[in-house]
Amino acid sequence: MIDCDAKVREELAKGDIGENRQCEYYPCHFDGQNCSLCFCPFYPCNDPALGTMVESKKGGMIWSCEGCFWTHRQDVVKDFYRLFKASSEDPSTENLSKIKSELERTHLKDAKRVMVMGATSGAGKSLLTTALCRHFSDLGYRVSPFKGQNMSLNSTVTAKGEEIARAQDLQARAARAEPNARMNPILLKPIKDDISQVIVEGKPFKDMNVKQYYDEFALGEGVKAIARNLDVLRKINDIIVIEGAGSPAEINMMDKDITNMRTAEIADAVCILVVNIEWGGAFAYAYGTLMLLSEEQRRMFKGIIITNLHGGKGSLSSGEEFLRSSTGVPVLGVLPHIDLDLPDEDSMFIGMRKRRSDRLTVGVVRLPRISNFTDLDALSLSGAEVRYIDRPEEVSEVDAVIIPGTKSTVDDLRWLNERGMADALRKMRGSKPILGICGGYQMLGETIDDMKGIEGGVGKVYDGLGLLPVRTYFDAYEKRTVQASGNLISDRSKAVRGYEIHMGRTVRDGGSELFELEGPEGRHSEGIVSEDGMVFGTYLHGVFDLPAFRELFLSRSKITLAELKDEDYSQVVERSLDRLARALEENIDLDRLHDAMGVPK
Amino acid sequence: MFQAVCSSAGKSTLTAALCRHLARKGIDVAPFKAQNLSLNSFVTEDGGEMGISQAFQAWACGIEPDVDMNPILLKPKGEGGMQIVLHGRPLKDIDQNGERADIGELLGHVSDSFSRIKGRHDVIVIEGSGSPAEINLRGRDVANMATAKIAGSPVILIGDIDKGGVFAGLYGTYNLLDESERAMVKGFIINRFRGDASILGPGIERLESEMSCPCLGVMPYARLRSPAEDSMEIGKQEADASGGDVREVWLRSLDDFTDVFERSIDMLALEELIEKGP
Repeated sequence: MIDCDAKVREELAKGDIGENRQCEYYPCHFDGQNCSLCFCPFYPCNDPALGTMVESKKGGMIWSCEGCFWTHRQDVVKDFYRLFKASSEDPSTENLSKIKSELERTHLKDAKRVMVMGATSGAGKSLLTTALCRHFSDLGYRVSPFKGQNMSLNSTVTAKGEEIARAQDLQARAARAEPNARMNPILLKPIKDDISQVIVEGKPFKDMNVKQYYDEFALGEGVKAIARNLDVLRKINDIIVIEGAGSPAEINMMDKDITNMRTAEIADAVCILVVNIEWGGAFAYAYGTLMLLSEEQRRMFKGIIITNLHGGKGSLSSGEEFLRSSTGVPVLGVLPHIDLDLPDEDSMFIGMRKRRSDRLTVGVVRLPRISNFTDLDALSLSGAEVRYIDRPEEVSEVDAVIIPGTKSTVDDLRWLNERGMADALRKMRGSKPILGICGGYQMLGETIDDMKGIEGGVGKVYDGLGLLPVRTYFDAYEKRTVQASGNLISDRSKAVRGYEIHMGRTVRDGGSELFELEGPEGRHSEGIVSEDGMVFGTYLHGVFDLPAFRELFLSRSKITLAELKDEDYSQVVERSLDRLARALEENIDLDRLHDAMGVPK
Repeated sequence: MFQAVCSSAGKSTLTAALCRHLARKGIDVAPFKAQNLSLNSFVTEDGGEMGISQAFQAWACGIEPDVDMNPILLKPKGEGGMQIVLHGRPLKDIDQNGERADIGELLGHVSDSFSRIKGRHDVIVIEGSGSPAEINLRGRDVANMATAKIAGSPVILIGDIDKGGVFAGLYGTYNLLDESERAMVKGFIINRFRGDASILGPGIERLESEMSCPCLGVMPYARLRSPAEDSMEIGKQEADASGGDVREVWLRSLDDFTDVFERSIDMLALEELIEKGP
């Protein structure tokens, strides 16, 4: 028989020990748990929110808190020891229960949920979700974003090597939370036509077409993955900000849509409808969306937010009043258009950024299946202008060329050849720097060996552009998703960091290594620079986020960068997140939202 | 008359396609848009300024552009101000908070132009502007239902499915109109669809019964190389290094687009609507 009281006293004396991954039972509650309060000082708390009475093996009833995550949350443990120390380490039941009620005020046992849905795509869901994450985090809450299913080619890799959408990664940053696959349990990466790679909880699951996805996955395993991950997030956060996808009112497939109302119902969330006023018809879209839902679903909506207003507000009040009286849902405010330095989520916005022609111009080849073009956002911080190019003659109009990532190396390589871009690039070789990232890196090499047909469907060896002495092999249906950081080999004091998402492996037989990296598998070198220093290749996405490689690459073009400003991209993103949250707070009636959610005052 | 649930839903291109379709059948047809908000304008042979979309639609009809096809052109100047061009000539600049144009007077000009155009051609294909269901602009919207009433024309609503929420957009727009306006809506079109249209079936059926009018077709996503009307279209233009006269390139592209239009839309029903009137 274990003396529980003695164990508790021991723990209280030891203080916060964090995670104990050596323990054979780890994780007995959840991955990422704090193990300090293994023997709970509140036991038996008899708190129905945290446990329940069960029949004991020896007969009789006993308090079970097997399902309790609360006292194992990092934030709860940290505050527990703070309060315990402040109360002169008094271990009496009376003091401990006082501490528990104090903790309950600031650490919610069941997270409050709000869900943001859009009347259309591009309504501003993602941005508003990001803004709410930062807003609640600023109030001191532990916040997590959530999007049940995301369709995007822009993904990133978490510290644990899980692949999730860039949007949720950014929202996690806004929430000041460690990004993890729970935040985006299903990621669909379109491959071609109606086929997508389905990624479940951060790992590739299967390639499926639309019909297979809905008939064999979504309503079964898909819904389960959403419910399972939401359940964990609810127990370890104070607030969950959930994002929907597209419109919840697609009446041709409402029974199959698991990402909007189905998720809202699973989460029992307070819902907000976002509508973009820039395109016109905003009131009609908001009205139509709400009125095509069932009455029960409509009642879950506690507010409408209008986004992207350009110019003055004018008189929208008649429209707002109409929406409130006809749908029963009030307009919580109008968010003006704001220019932010945040990574783009959708390819829709490629090329829509403002341009200045007096700057160094980097031509990014606009591949038909371009992916992870968010890699290029940071170039503007070194004063370079990004221009998307897809005609051979445009190669001569830019100062450097980047072949970005692609969802389909073989198909897009064919496109480069057919389009005449391949010849144009060979001709400019040596006069301007060229960089291939990921799929673009593979294209720059001598050959792409796909004898098993993993990438292109038929077994074949393809000729690359021949600009780098490397060969790529697709020899297994395996996807590499890792984060890595390190330095330039040419200057070890210069830091780089990023992440890899690719199939295939690349072998170098010439040139020099580019980076020295530290990753989950230890130290290794990565990437290549040609003998003459004009052609670069790397698998590292986010390679421009830190200034070192940006400068190196851009310095090889003719224009000097001497007077151009430079900055770590993440600081710029931080400032944008703060500006976004302040804009939200200034323009939206958040008290009303807090009340609807039941957020403590 | 084509009206749409939002800007950039494809009004101008579908108007051009219907113009082209009728012209190819040998019908004497002309375009009309009462009021255009655009910085892309065209200058007619006699020096009148008009929206370039209507000029393009005129070429689609095989006729020369005429300012009566677009009697009012609003040219945004930033900060909410704009220049009003009336019957091809600059009338005055207004700013956001300044005097408002007299709607009655504007409608008088629209009516004059429309009568002249109608007198010269057998069929007029009319394009609306933005959304007809802007509650905050009620009573001040010249280019949609007010024009439809002047022209006495049936109205076809266009929804853009590429943005998502197309059913909500159509349903909401229809229901935000008043009863007399709703009675003029004789059909709807779902524009810019990618994939297999059969999956839309249940949604279309529900809308047909909610809106008491038929879906005239689902138009697939098809590229049309045409003069871009507003800034939202920048960067979407297909590259074409073929050289030559761009108007010819536009019209060649329109011919292909019109082929798709004819295949995708119930042309018999559409022609019957034109024949029958309101």
